[in-house]
Amino acid sequence: MLIIVVLGLIIYFPGRKLARAHVNSKTGVEDHPLMCTSCHIPLSKNKLIVKLINSDYYSPFNLAVSKDGGRLYVVAQEGNALLVVDPENHKVLNKIKVGKYPYGVVLDEAGKIAYVSNQWSDDVSVIDLVTEKVSDTLKTGNGPAGLSLSADGKYLYVVNSFSSDISVIDLKNREEHKRFSAGNNPTGAELSPDGKTLYVTSRRALIAPYGDTLKSELTVVDESTERVIARRNIESAYLIENVAFTPTGDLAIMTMIRPKNLIPSIQVEQGWMMTYGITIIEQKEKGRVIQLLLDEPNAYYSDPYDIVITPDGKKAFISHSGVNCISVVDIDSVRTLLKESSPEILNKWSNNLGISSRYVIKRIPTGANPKGLALSPDGKLLYVAEQLEDRIAVINTVSLETINTISLGGPRRITVARQGRRLFNNSGHTFQNQFDCYTCHPDMHEDGLVYNMASKDMGRNLTNTQSLRDIRDTPPYKWNGKNQTVYKQDGIRFSTVLTRSEQFSYEDLDALTAYILTGIHYPPNLMYNPTGELTGSQLRGKEIFERTKDNSGNVIPENNRCITCHTPPYYTNLKLASVGTLAATDDSIKFDTPHLNNIFASPPYLHDGRAATLEEIWTIYGKEDKHGLANDMNKNQLNDLVEYLKSLRAPEYENIPSKIKHTSL
Amino acid sequence: MNRTRSTIILSILMVSGFSFLFFASCRRKSADGMIIFTQVYGKEQDKNVAEETLEYTALTRIFSIDPDKSGDSPTILTEDFYSAKSPAVSFDGTQLIFTGQKKQGDTWQIYEMNPANSKINQITSAPENCIDPAWLPGERLIFSKIPLNDTLKSGHSIFSCNVNGSDVRQITFNPDVFSSSTTLKDGRILTISKQVYPEKRDPVYMALRPDGTKAELFYKSSEGNILSGHGWETSNGRIVFIESEKSNREKGNVISINYNRPLHTRVNLSSEIEGNFNSVFPLKSGRLLVSYRKSETDRYAIYGFDPEKRSVDNAIYSNKDFDILEVIAVEAHERPKKLPSEVDKGVKTGLILCQNINVSEAQSSVNTSALSKAYKIEVIGKDSTLGVVQVEQDGSFYLKVIADTPFRIQTVDENGKVLNGPSDWIWLRPNERRGCVGCHGDPEMVPGNNIPLSVKKAPVIIPVHKSNLKEKAIELE
Amino acid sequence: MRNLIQKNYFRYLLSGVVLLCIFSMGFTPIEKSPAGLNSPKDDAKPMPVYGHWKNFTTKDGLPSDHAYCVRIDGNRVLVGTHDGLAVYENGKWTTYTTKDGLVHNGVVSIDVSELTGDVWIGTLGGLSRWSGGKFENFTQFNSGMPNDLVYCVICDGKDVWTATAGGAGQYDTYTKQWEIFTEKNAPMHEPWTYGVSAGDGKIYIAAWGGGIIEYTNKTKKFKDYTDPDGEMEIDLLPDDGPVHDITTATSWANGMLWVSTYFGLSSYDGTHWKGYFDTDSGLASNFINFVRAKGPVVFICSDKGLSSTDGKSWVTYKKNENNSDGMTIIKNFGRNDDSTVVHTTKEIPSSPAIAHNFIIGVDADKEFIWVATEKGVSRGELLK
Repeated sequence: MLIIVVLGLIIYFPGRKLARAHVNSKTGVEDHPLMCTSCHIPLSKNKLIVKLINSDYYSPFNLAVSKDGGRLYVVAQEGNALLVVDPENHKVLNKIKVGKYPYGVVLDEAGKIAYVSNQWSDDVSVIDLVTEKVSDTLKTGNGPAGLSLSADGKYLYVVNSFSSDISVIDLKNREEHKRFSAGNNPTGAELSPDGKTLYVTSRRALIAPYGDTLKSELTVVDESTERVIARRNIESAYLIENVAFTPTGDLAIMTMIRPKNLIPSIQVEQGWMMTYGITIIEQKEKGRVIQLLLDEPNAYYSDPYDIVITPDGKKAFISHSGVNCISVVDIDSVRTLLKESSPEILNKWSNNLGISSRYVIKRIPTGANPKGLALSPDGKLLYVAEQLEDRIAVINTVSLETINTISLGGPRRITVARQGRRLFNNSGHTFQNQFDCYTCHPDMHEDGLVYNMASKDMGRNLTNTQSLRDIRDTPPYKWNGKNQTVYKQDGIRFSTVLTRSEQFSYEDLDALTAYILTGIHYPPNLMYNPTGELTGSQLRGKEIFERTKDNSGNVIPENNRCITCHTPPYYTNLKLASVGTLAATDDSIKFDTPHLNNIFASPPYLHDGRAATLEEIWTIYGKEDKHGLANDMNKNQLNDLVEYLKSLRAPEYENIPSKIKHTSL
Repeated sequence: MNRTRSTIILSILMVSGFSFLFFASCRRKSADGMIIFTQVYGKEQDKNVAEETLEYTALTRIFSIDPDKSGDSPTILTEDFYSAKSPAVSFDGTQLIFTGQKKQGDTWQIYEMNPANSKINQITSAPENCIDPAWLPGERLIFSKIPLNDTLKSGHSIFSCNVNGSDVRQITFNPDVFSSSTTLKDGRILTISKQVYPEKRDPVYMALRPDGTKAELFYKSSEGNILSGHGWETSNGRIVFIESEKSNREKGNVISINYNRPLHTRVNLSSEIEGNFNSVFPLKSGRLLVSYRKSETDRYAIYGFDPEKRSVDNAIYSNKDFDILEVIAVEAHERPKKLPSEVDKGVKTGLILCQNINVSEAQSSVNTSALSKAYKIEVIGKDSTLGVVQVEQDGSFYLKVIADTPFRIQTVDENGKVLNGPSDWIWLRPNERRGCVGCHGDPEMVPGNNIPLSVKKAPVIIPVHKSNLKEKAIELE
Repeated sequence: MRNLIQKNYFRYLLSGVVLLCIFSMGFTPIEKSPAGLNSPKDDAKPMPVYGHWKNFTTKDGLPSDHAYCVRIDGNRVLVGTHDGLAVYENGKWTTYTTKDGLVHNGVVSIDVSELTGDVWIGTLGGLSRWSGGKFENFTQFNSGMPNDLVYCVICDGKDVWTATAGGAGQYDTYTKQWEIFTEKNAPMHEPWTYGVSAGDGKIYIAAWGGGIIEYTNKTKKFKDYTDPDGEMEIDLLPDDGPVHDITTATSWANGMLWVSTYFGLSSYDGTHWKGYFDTDSGLASNFINFVRAKGPVVFICSDKGLSSTDGKSWVTYKKNENNSDGMTIIKNFGRNDDSTVVHTTKEIPSSPAIAHNFIIGVDADKEFIWVATEKGVSRGELLK
């Protein structure tokens, strides 16, 4: 017995010391609990453990209501299904399997057909609502999201969020009739009440040099001429997710974020990082574009997603997925404000946190991460897709109270990763709820903006937001590679310089880390590499990527070959490098070699976003051959190289296991 | 036999022990629900801090009373003190801090007490008067300190320290008088700040982080009203406090403002009520405790107050000889966020960026055309000017200022004429980086999203006339 | 383009001298030419003749008198000038330049996508897509486009083709991918391409020194058509292929491919090539800058006026050297009973005439013809 105790003590003390050192090195702190299970179980790659610790949630994203109000059709984004729900009896009647990662749903005029866009399979599921079966699948552009039917029902407009265009599908012959280019990363689509114009909103700002006024495009399609008749710049705004028209058609209102990426990120107070609101476009000749905030001086209403307007045109409901609430806007008050205000005054209101008290009449709390909204046909009920609650909330639009919730029947338990996802999507950990991880990393990706992080002095160290997709095996993190683990990335320094509120508790940090490292996946690269079989150009580009000799037959120094630093499967060697891009306003550092999978979806490029396209990395910013030897290439070769880079996709689609030993966090 | 006796004795002892434990457990272990109040002899009306002498004057004592036992006499909690006041309950509702004077003539110091058993620990032992304590999350607290040689220039600064009195840090650095601090749920300190130098201004509520950074205006009374006492955050997102009429300081009203928009949501909850209010405290239930008197001939007594109905209801405690100065309840409530600190004592300066000095509160309202454009700013120290700085074409300026040093800014036109200002006192903590939308800007304005021209250059060193400071400042960093 | 013309000035001079010699020797091939023309159908519409010319210059609102191209787009007319894009709509000219987002002010080619209505603008410094009032720019630096000297742009369904100084570029508006065709991967003589047109599922690239490069969309295969005479300035064997390898433009309509060169005009019906010269047809000049076929009629932009033909008749519009008046010359070719070719010529004075005889661009619809000239833009009305 004594021997066992002695042996135990001998093992315990050095063992504990080693464990402490290990945990400290991973977390960057000295007091994280020594619980092996807090990290190693949630981050395990063992298939059985992965299965045991995770659950399959539905994650309702958008929804539609049948004409008689008797059915809800709920897009279950992670359930890859359209759920048929009886709202009166709170029952899920059917789960209709659709494509991958469905996004939106619209019903035809007769209410007999539902169209569901499948963002990750580049198609639309056509569902016969009588038989409740998929009757057809329509091919679309890349990343179909928002949907709208033409007024005569002949065409289905599909907003392709990844390829940034709009497919016009002829429903008679079930083929794509034409495709319009749209803004950057478009999603929302809404037909005007007179059926004459289609509005398509875009989430990302148009790529422009840092310092230019942000412009996000609203694409306006004329139904009769079948042409894009306007591309309106919504200035200083982005993440314009959705748009709605008043029933009389006098106003179009869309949700938006007004970010402050051009200002040094030195504080959160006074709306210094992010503000949220609505853009209103008067639907008349020379109609004004007005932006009004929904925030208040000490409270921010982050991540506005959807907007619906009651049939009487009196109220607009806006879901704030970052703060779990619905803002209720009195539209007549907005009209009064617009009427009495000069353009100069309206311009000032767009930066005023107090003006919302003129038109926001209520904030209705919801479950986690409210996304899509839908009104009952009589406008008396508002249905809210609570994405991370697996639930639909039912709100009385008169009393403005939640009167019911409908569980979709997903798992009751909240897994660690799910909790992490909730944290990721919630602004509660930022001072005055001003933003959350999702705000700058929409879709857990990146927002296409460059920020002045002002790490030391203001005006220095511009930082291009990086994607969080599948980053588990690509440490270190940040462009300067200072953080070896996500734990450190999101620890105390994160709260000190960014969220400026209380840091995550260790339990929350465990959960957030588990989600970031295990729960964020790349969409398939259907646009440039759908099958894994490379095109001729891509194959030639691959040869260039892997070449060891230049066009003249000279050996390229190893450290100046693409493949040396951008090593598969993530196309990073996890090391820092200097590629001749250090700016005078940068601290003297090397940059972390970025991973390249789905790189086509991450413009702008380089650490400060100076390259608008992949080509510019070499045509403009690679003249000194420091970012790989490239100047011997002709234009065809550069095109081939770029085409190859665009073809890169996540290892999970290549069926090859990660070759890099994963970190234990 | 012996064994039997022993067994019996043991049994008796055990029964006695268990009985003791049982009955002991029935005694009130915590003071949860108790009401704590400060009272002063009726003819010695306290003004918290007398305006001219800047010192506590009245003899006050802290009591507790069980509101469920209306007939009970209050229990004095500070029996060993000559005078005591400003009680504040910890977030978990178990501890009380207050400021007290052990003997007449002693300095005021901060003490901690368990209200359940009246056990007291002294927290501060400063040569100066330490008053108006408030809890911070993370086992720390703040208090105001009155300097030994108190002058108008010295101010009453806020300090923070550990609950055991260690690690005392000054967090405010201007000559204003800070008092009546509380902690907001967002983690910031809400405090009354009153400028007395170089000219007197009405007190305002300031909000600042516990490290003294990002101090900003939270609320100021409208014309004719004066802030008085603590502002307490309620469970439903409002701040309640007493505001007295300037013309009649005795006429105190219960005011409620919305945390989300404090400057424009003032509601006078007592406008229809005859009489005066001296203090207010929010209960978790949403109701309020007030010290109130119906007429000037009455004494301030403790009442319940219904903020919905805006009415005084149940009388809880009164004393015909004493006025109730402050009243609070012992309740656990939501712990405020524990804010991280950007202060780095290894750095000797702070940075301040103003986006456009020509954005002012006046200009953010209606007519902008009539106002002259400012081209320069003058930075004014406590004793002398710290320099004049040309602003950039977009109206921005970017300064590096010696940390923990107060300054004010005024805008100047191209002819050197002062256009606006000087501002309230500002200070920057070491390594603090601070942004302003404009000078005297509307606090509800957020910055436009554009790169200020000034940050494309190195910051201007303040004071500008000290040519060697620049090198020193950089060297220090 | 101007440089290119100057560069080859000696060639043209030589060619002119040689041709003059041939003509003076009496080898006028006029009798043979009409036989190869489009066989006019009996029910063919009469050859359109335009008149009532209205000329537009900077005085009328054009940004520059140097007009390079013109394209009718519904109720508006798009004109490419040396100083920007000019749009004529509701009787007014509006100019768009780099200040409005255009990639470069030297606009040399314009096409409008039939599918989307997007306007594609080839310039001397890149390619712009003008859609919904906004310009989106493609350059050799920011995209896979071959070269910034975009001489010609056309839309073919979802594809956009450019003829550039660095090869022909195919841009797929769906996949956003560029493919470059040069001498390295297509049967070209050099990467320099000057014109491109589409028709019948094929793309016809006018490749400098390489004749015509035909690309079949379906098979993605190339075929080239070159002058059997090589780079000789004369067409030794008539109708044996394109008249010259230095081609300036192609245009396809009604089953016929038209190819312009600085040495004459060629047509190809899929089986036979036919050459046309100013000596044996109604062509105003052999020096042809651009050609555009619209249905049965082809318009030929030369340095000495604008010609058009439906295969039966030739109509040429010219301006007098010394005043603003000019002439419309109508030539009809026919055969006598003995099969000998005869032609009749009718000259109709016009006042005013087209703005200038050096013509670079043309477009026509049912009512109007628009002409881009060295000194302004001309609009002619269809004469009933």
